[in-house]
This record gives sequence, structure tokens and C-alpha cells, in this order.
Amino acid sequence: MSEIPEEYLFDLESEQRVLSSMLHSEDACIEAYNLLTASEFYSPRNALIFELVSSLFLREVRPTLVEVLKEGHNLGLFTNPRDIEDLKYIAEHFIDDENIKYWIGKVKDKSRLRNFVEFLKVSYEVIREQQGTDIEQILMSAEEKLTNLTALEIDDHVDGPADMANLGYDEVEKRFLRYKNINEVNKGLIPLDGLSTGFDNLNHVTLGYKAGDLIILGAQTGHGKTAFALHTSKAIAVDSRKNVLYLNTEMSREQIALRWGSILSGIEHERIRAGNINETELSIILNAYSRLRDSGFYSYPCPNLTPEKTISIARKFKAQKNIELMVIDYVGRMDKYDPRIPEWQMLEQIVKTQKMLAQNLKIAVMCLVQLNADGTMQGARRMKNECDLMLKLTPIPREDFELSEEIKKYLNPNYYLMIEKNRDGRSGVSIPIVFDLQKQTMKDAERISR
Amino acid sequence: MTFEEKKKKLYAESASMIADMGVRGKLSVEEMNFLLSLLDIVVVKKDQPQLIQILQNWVNINEGSEIDEIIKATLMAADFTDEESMEQCLQLVTELLESRGLN
Repeated sequence: MSEIPEEYLFDLESEQRVLSSMLHSEDACIEAYNLLTASEFYSPRNALIFELVSSLFLREVRPTLVEVLKEGHNLGLFTNPRDIEDLKYIAEHFIDDENIKYWIGKVKDKSRLRNFVEFLKVSYEVIREQQGTDIEQILMSAEEKLTNLTALEIDDHVDGPADMANLGYDEVEKRFLRYKNINEVNKGLIPLDGLSTGFDNLNHVTLGYKAGDLIILGAQTGHGKTAFALHTSKAIAVDSRKNVLYLNTEMSREQIALRWGSILSGIEHERIRAGNINETELSIILNAYSRLRDSGFYSYPCPNLTPEKTISIARKFKAQKNIELMVIDYVGRMDKYDPRIPEWQMLEQIVKTQKMLAQNLKIAVMCLVQLNADGTMQGARRMKNECDLMLKLTPIPREDFELSEEIKKYLNPNYYLMIEKNRDGRSGVSIPIVFDLQKQTMKDAERISR
Repeated sequence: MTFEEKKKKLYAESASMIADMGVRGKLSVEEMNFLLSLLDIVVVKKDQPQLIQILQNWVNINEGSEIDEIIKATLMAADFTDEESMEQCLQLVTELLESRGLN
């Protein structure tokens, strides 16, 4: 078997362009960190630089040339002038490259090609050395390896019968143990599968927001979309100290910060905004903010948010802060991919992107959407198809207070949290809650004991 | 070549020259780290104007005296990522320069 020319198997220029882009741009870092591994670089030196840059990026140190030089030197990896000369060449020769995805693609392609050549070499050796072996077995083994090579993403995974059986048994066993736990240890209180929603009744029906879930929450303007998002964020980031990223398209940093003051202190938002508080209340608010200080809440006001930008931001925060929930407040204000496409099509694209993002990053993503005046949702059917949990927040109609026996069993409810879709459990359920507009707080409506 | 490209080229040249001197043992590790951090502050982060001003003043009058050695050691011990450490360092260097009647 004649040898393939070595230079056909690698592309050093693409590798250097990727590294150079990472040294000059954070967006390039996010892309490359998520799409490449060091093993995909042909040059060991380039692989080493990639690892250094990635490790700085993960530690939230901006990976400039200077930082890479310092890190490499401190770790004893750059020991001769040649190492420095190579890095300098990379940094100064491709400084204007913004087409990062193209160069990442080229690095990946060459890596796959090298893997394919390796596969051919190994297969050839197998045929040469095991001439008596069953040909069917050789072909089956080769086919499996080749299938893995042609899979575009390393995430692609096919479950064989045994995998599926093992997975099924593990899941049943997990649930069996949990059920046992509920009765024996937790005295009937169901432990969550995911993140707390902030409402006991919603937790009971959904078992929490799970990694990979897309949650859609619809409400009309002024009916608690942001309050709901911050209430959920409080349960996860403040009470459970897990990390949440909150992307806001319409409120300023100051507005969000002031809302927290009200939510955490229980003092009316309007009074806080006007500064109409006494010294005792000021001290209560100070204490409330100390809880926010110790929480895992990350706020990102972003008036010109696009679906593509959410991907890049989410990847960065997943890598650097290990977020477990991302909230988009709200979807209708996101910029379109293409201004010519109709609104419903844009919403469909956005929710599809967010579902994919949730699954790839293994986080829960919550999208807030606006309801029409009649309580319907634009593009509702398509959104419903994509999401795992669809919730609607609406005021309880007056007739329900008069006619519904069920609602009379609760103490001062004023809103319904309606579960329109729940992939993992019951749907069509309306949970009565209390939404205090003044304090921007929400809670389960208490059941009146008889 | 645009101004931005020229600036990035100059930055890469300067960074590699400092690191090269570090590798060849012409600068100590502390000196190398200080100069590299300073380069990032001036070109990339565009931060710490007070430090830059103090350094400019000091460079003009540095004659390698004992006080100059103390100033150098103080600057190299500063943690550029820690605001408090930087403030203390700049305060001390300012006082040292003032004690010579030169700031």
C-alpha cells in the first residue's frame, strides 16, 4: 500500500488561524472551545497552545498572547526561544481572521481524514495478519468503526438493544429507590429530578426543570413574565445557590437590580424605586442584597439579542460558570435572523435553537413569550411541539371566584399558572398562585384547611 | 496595514521579545511577568492610567539608587488583578518618589 503524501493529512495554516483568532477574540474562543479538542490538531505544539488558551478561557482570564506566554512559562512548557517565536508568528500573522467557523471546519476535516487513514491502515493489517478469521466478523467490526468516523458530531449516539435495556433498568431502579425514599425518609415529600421551580405545586407535577428541558412561559404584558422569571431565579440561584444566566432584552441593569431589592426584602417595588423607605427598611434591603451577593445569579442585559448570540453567550457561561438554567426575557424582542421572515416563523426558529442549546449544553432553558390580548400565543402550536414544559400565567377570571368550588378552597389566589404541556407528567392543570404585583413576589396559594 | 493591525503586530513583537529575554535568562521571572502584564495593561486593557503616569515619571529620573531598587521591587510585587494591591502599591511608590522630591 503506497503512502499518502503527509502534507495532504494536515493543514497547519488552518490550525494557526484558529489559534490566532482565539488570541484576538472572545467569540472565537467560545466557538473553538466548544467545537474542537486538542487531539484534533496535527501539530503537538498547536495542540499545546490550544490547551493553554482553553484553560485560561475556562478560568475567565482573557487569553491574550501575554497571558499565554506567562502561563506557558510558569508551567515550564515554553523553555526555548523557538517556542516563543512560533507563538509570535501565530499571533501576528492572522490577526484579521474573523471566519473562525470555516477554519475550525478545516481543522476538523483534516483530523477526520487522519482518523480515516489510520482506520484503513489498521484494517489492512487485520486482513494481512488474520487470514483465517471469519470475513463477516472483520467486515462487521470495520463497519462499526467506519460508522463512528462518518458521524458528524461526537454527540451522535446510537443505543443498541443492550444499551437501551440497561438504561431502562437504571431509570426504573432510580425511580424505585426514590419512591422508597419518599415513603421512608422524606415522609411523602417528593425529591426533585431537576431544579426547583419556586412553586411547590409545580414542583410536584413536573419534578423540577431538568437539564435539556425547554420551558416556555407565556403571559400578557404587565402580567408577571419578569416577576415569574426572577421568582424562579430566586429559588434556584439564591435559595439553592445554583448558577442561573438571565438574559434581558428590555430592562436596564438598574431596573433589574431594583426588582431584586423588592423580591428579596418584600418591600413594595414602587416605594423602593421612589426611595420612599425608612431607615429600618433600608437596613432590611441591605440584608436582602447580601443574599443576592452570595447567589449564583448572572444578569446579562442585551437589548439587541439574536438567536445566534444566545448560543455564544450560553456556551461561554456554561464553560466558565457552569450555569444550570438560562432565562430569555423575552423572545418577542429578539432580533430576527432575517427581517423579511414572518413573526411566527422567527419564533419557531428561536425555540428550535433554544431546544437544541438546552440539549447540547445539558442545561434548562426558559423562554418568556408574550400572549395576545385574547390569551392565545403566536406560533403556539409550533412552540408547543418543541418545548418540554409550556406554562401560561393568567389572572383568575371573575366567574371562577363565583362558580368554581375548587378555587374557593384557596386563600386569596389571583393568578393561574396553567400547565399546557408537560412532557414528563400531567398537563392541563391550573395551579392557583398569589402574585403580589407591588412586591413583585409570587407564591403558591395556600389551601384553606377544613 | 491598518493602524489596528500595526498595533497588534507591535504588541506581538514586544510580548515575544520580553518572553524571549525571560527564556534566555536576561530577565528574572518576576521582571518578565511584570513587563508582560504592563504590556497587556497598555495595549489590550487600556487600564491603570495612574500606574502609567508614575512609571513615566520614574523612568525619567531612575538612576539605580537604593530608592529606585525599592520602587522596582514594590512594582514587581504588585498583583495587577487585585485592585486593592494595586492601590497600595501606587500609594507607596508615589510616597517614595515624593520622598525624593521628584513627583
